Amino acid sequence: MAAKWIEALTGSLEQKKQYKQAVARIEALPTPYRETAKALNRYLMYYGGVTDGDTIVTMFLDHADLWERAAVDETPVRDIVADDPVEFAESFARAYAGAQWIDKERARLTAAIDAAVGDASGGEPS
Amino acid sequence: MAKQMTEMLKGTLEGVVLAILATKPAYGYDITARLRDQGFTDIVEGTVYALLIRIEQRGLVDVEKVPSEKGPPRKVYSLNAAGAEYLDEFWKTWAFLADRIEHLRGEVAATETEGE
Repeated sequence: MAAKWIEALTGSLEQKKQYKQAVARIEALPTPYRETAKALNRYLMYYGGVTDGDTIVTMFLDHADLWERAAVDETPVRDIVADDPVEFAESFARAYAGAQWIDKERARLTAAIDAAVGDASGGEPS
Repeated sequence: MAKQMTEMLKGTLEGVVLAILATKPAYGYDITARLRDQGFTDIVEGTVYALLIRIEQRGLVDVEKVPSEKGPPRKVYSLNAAGAEYLDEFWKTWAFLADRIEHLRGEVAATETEGE
């Protein structure tokens, strides 16, 4: 009962637990996978712009999967991130673009143009 | 050349990966290796990984976690009905694009011959 309203304020405790697990799994990786995954995690947090907790948690768990797999297979870090780690991080984050803060603004922009040209039935944004 | 290749691949790689999965289910590394065999030598695993997540989120593939000897289970991807439909659409779009671009090239070549 008490947990419910606390979660409403702080976000889901289950999500926090899962996020912490993902972080712990990354901490347990060998060099250079740990450093790589940590740096990417930081960037994903900034760039992701994902507001939905479930999506963030899914993204971080998948990210931990990716680097655990790479460490076990001894896949070179460059074979994963290539020459441009920013491009890698951003395309990774975009895969989870389901609930980004920008979505609201995208809908708003589309609606504003529809209203401006008097076309309420305006096409779906693609 | 390499830059143009990267840009063009961005729009087509999804279809290419779905086409690879249409022949048989595969996990990430498999897919990267098969792409390299097909001549896409510059493809890195990370690109494929991000793409697989995207098509999974969009419901175009089914995912099965298969235990592996070491490390976390491997995710095996297989094409589902929605993916097959998407792939069909992809081939149609590709055929249209290839046809129109070749047509344009033919026109350019004809103009050049006339000019001589």
